[in-house]
Amino acid sequence: MIKKEGSFKYLEIKNISKNFGETFVLKNIHLDVFKGEFLCLLGPSGCGKTTLLRIISGLERQTNGDIVQDGLLISNSPTEKRDFGIVFQSYALFPNLNAKQNIAYGLENKKINKKEIEKRTNNLLRLVGLEKYSDQFPSQLSGGQQQRVALARAMALSPGLLLLDEPLSALDAQVRSKLRNEIKLIQKKLNLTTIMVTHDQTEALSMADRVVVMERGHIAQIGTPFELYENPITPFVADFIGKMNLLKGKYDKKNCVFYYLNNRFLISQNTEYSFLENCLLGIRPEDIEIIKFRKNIEKEENILRVKIKEITYLGTIFRLTVVLESKLEENIFVDVISNQVISNNLKIGDFIDIKLKKEKIKLFESNL
Amino acid sequence: MYFKKNFNKSFNILLLRILIIFVFILVSFFIIIPLLPLFLKSFSDNKNNFIGLENFINYIQNPSLTQSFINSLKVAITTTFFSVLIGFIYAYALTRTRLPLKKFFNTFSLFSLYIPPLAVAIGLIYIFGKQGLITQGFFGTIPGFDINLYGFNGIIIGEIFYCFPQALIILVSALNLSDQRLYEAAESLKASPLRKFLTITLPNIKYGLMNSFFICFILSFTDFGVPKVVGGNFNVLATDIYKQVVGQQNFAMGATISIYLLVPSILAFLIDKNFQKNEASLISGKSIPFKPRKNLIVDSIMFIFCSLILILVIGVFSSIVLASLIKIWPYDISLSLQNFRFSNVAGNGYEPYFNTVFMSIYTAIFGTIFVFFTAYLVEKFKPLKKIRMLIYFFSTLPIAIPGLVLGLSYILFFNKPSFSVPFLDFQIFNPFSLLYGTMGILVLANIIHFFTVCFISATTTLKKIDKEFEEVSESLKVPFYKTFLRITIPLSLPTILEIGSYYFVNSMITVSAIIFLYPAKIPVSSVSIVNMDDAGDTASAAAMSTLIVLTSLFVRLIYEFTSRNVSKKSSVWINPLET
Repeated sequence: MIKKEGSFKYLEIKNISKNFGETFVLKNIHLDVFKGEFLCLLGPSGCGKTTLLRIISGLERQTNGDIVQDGLLISNSPTEKRDFGIVFQSYALFPNLNAKQNIAYGLENKKINKKEIEKRTNNLLRLVGLEKYSDQFPSQLSGGQQQRVALARAMALSPGLLLLDEPLSALDAQVRSKLRNEIKLIQKKLNLTTIMVTHDQTEALSMADRVVVMERGHIAQIGTPFELYENPITPFVADFIGKMNLLKGKYDKKNCVFYYLNNRFLISQNTEYSFLENCLLGIRPEDIEIIKFRKNIEKEENILRVKIKEITYLGTIFRLTVVLESKLEENIFVDVISNQVISNNLKIGDFIDIKLKKEKIKLFESNL
Repeated sequence: MYFKKNFNKSFNILLLRILIIFVFILVSFFIIIPLLPLFLKSFSDNKNNFIGLENFINYIQNPSLTQSFINSLKVAITTTFFSVLIGFIYAYALTRTRLPLKKFFNTFSLFSLYIPPLAVAIGLIYIFGKQGLITQGFFGTIPGFDINLYGFNGIIIGEIFYCFPQALIILVSALNLSDQRLYEAAESLKASPLRKFLTITLPNIKYGLMNSFFICFILSFTDFGVPKVVGGNFNVLATDIYKQVVGQQNFAMGATISIYLLVPSILAFLIDKNFQKNEASLISGKSIPFKPRKNLIVDSIMFIFCSLILILVIGVFSSIVLASLIKIWPYDISLSLQNFRFSNVAGNGYEPYFNTVFMSIYTAIFGTIFVFFTAYLVEKFKPLKKIRMLIYFFSTLPIAIPGLVLGLSYILFFNKPSFSVPFLDFQIFNPFSLLYGTMGILVLANIIHFFTVCFISATTTLKKIDKEFEEVSESLKVPFYKTFLRITIPLSLPTILEIGSYYFVNSMITVSAIIFLYPAKIPVSSVSIVNMDDAGDTASAAAMSTLIVLTSLFVRLIYEFTSRNVSKKSSVWINPLET
């Protein structure tokens, strides 16, 4: 799933750093992108993901490090000599040119005859499904259509690399999810190596072959969406991809027990961590169960008695915010299937017992 | 280990660097370097011997000259106060009230921009002068009233005419940026109208207010036309420079007085620049424009106020036209076109008029190209940041350089066929001296004299155009100059036309920058107005003024017509939701 058979490193980012004066924006970034791969750079704003994309395009210059594209060192090549197409968040469509002229803009500068340009432009219009709109100006097109024109324009010179800078964030939710699929389809059809910047984890997870999670100028983790969700290696990744409760406590490796306040939890995870103090227990809200009946509770493991502080309806599930009586300020989130909340008549202020699924518990080093 | 692509050098970036450096050299030679000989001159006698501060000391010890300095300050402060006050009330009426006939008041308020200050002064003579309509009670039909035009009063009235529309433009755009929601929030908190004004309106326009103070101060402190015609014995710095240079050929003292004129202007400029640095828009993109409510009392007061202002403006203009058409004011008030023959005035006939029209056309064409290209290079690119910042600073400077000072510094700089290098016996040919004595130097002086306003308006427009267009073009391997021609220019066309018409109109009406510079073989109309007025031939001066105003208005009409066509054509680009 990570890479196709026989795919090779198309883009190599080697030890890239960028600083503006004293402040580091990117620090020692290493990254390989394979031919035909769809890679997402994901992170909160200010993590350096857009800067990395702009360095790959040459619109921004790195302070240190090298970039190799298709076996060629391009670290210092000017933008116009690099082989890529780009779609900006604002699309940057030329407002005084119609859809067709926008798409043909790069082609017209090449020494190609008019018939060839016409043919190629029409193919691109068909590819993005805008044959009927070729004469419309950007202002006459919807947001989604504008986005498609920008995509077609970026692909017009048949670049080896497609760069997408938050391409969907200006669109409303419905158009966004439709375009996600379309972009993905086109990308696969053309086997076009693509790097997309986004801050939206759903978008990253649903589109990317691999996701690069970035945090404050460095790479926190690289992996397939599945790997990142199931096996986050830092609390940051755990809480950025989906939601994760993080409880601070102590870990006894010999007995595989985690101590949280007065509670002890058994851990099945075969961890290499040997520390005792300052460790974080992570568990996703959906991996916590509500224990309805108090029968035989002594035999059950990993149970906590909590009070319901808030109930949020999220459609198919309810998210409960619960607290321990001894530690009211620390919220624990529990996702419960809606019927269960309704049939048990759960209310704010109720006391319930929750169980942390042993096999789902993760442990992280705490740097707090 | 890897193939190193041998294409790291980009022709386009090289070209861009060369262009930026070229523009830097041009603005340096047109704006900054000509001021140096002026400074040198102020420290020399008329035989070019260095005499230190002697000129400045002589100046201070001469009571009649120091009086001029005080007079100039008095004029500037009084004019600034009234121009900004009138401009503010008028702008407030246009933007924040339900003034009846708003469109009419809006269009005609800027009418006086097309009347040269010289012509305003001539118009005032025909209303308030010795034989004026009001002074003589409309040819004796009603009791007359004398306001003592010649002197301080006349200068102030003339300067207010000249400065008030400038303040108005700035304040209208400042007041237009408003947020209805702020007023609604204040209302819900039971704020009084005065409190709303003091806490919302005023803080929002403080930058515009400051800027209009600065503009009016400089314009009225340095203006030459009005005091020349109606100043009488009330001397100001600008008329002193003229007398020293043209009357006594005393260039050294002319240069010294120029420094006295330049320093307060530059000071005002720096204060304003420093103040504007902190400008941060208080109005977000989401703001809802203010919608004034009906208020019978306020609206009526505003209507009366604006009508009075307009009656004065139109009255002055009509009196100029009338004066040009009347045979011999006030003795033979029959109408004739004899004043338009200009045959008895130094024999130049229509030559000055056509020279001025051509000069204005050249200024509009070359000025617009130069200013727009300069703004484009400064605004749109990344290389040579420090040099671009210097170009930006130099480009904002001309607004603080009085026309007379610019003209004098141009004479001193451009008439030198070569420069001597200090401490070395070595001469460098001055290529710009070739312009001396040609129409070229007049066009150049006009381009630089009005550079700042055009530069700021070009920069503002270019800022609004997405910077990513250049980046997209780079990614599509399209060189920047193609994008400039195909995207940037079409998108900026309304502003480009506006700059062209601004240059044309101002070159038509200006006198101060070119009065020292015009070659004898190229007489220009604004100078001939001064000369005709000096010779007592005020009717011909009025006739020439009428021609200038009508030409400016005609060009403005062409501009309005063209720009309407352009915006009709480009309306398809603009999102209907945004308009």
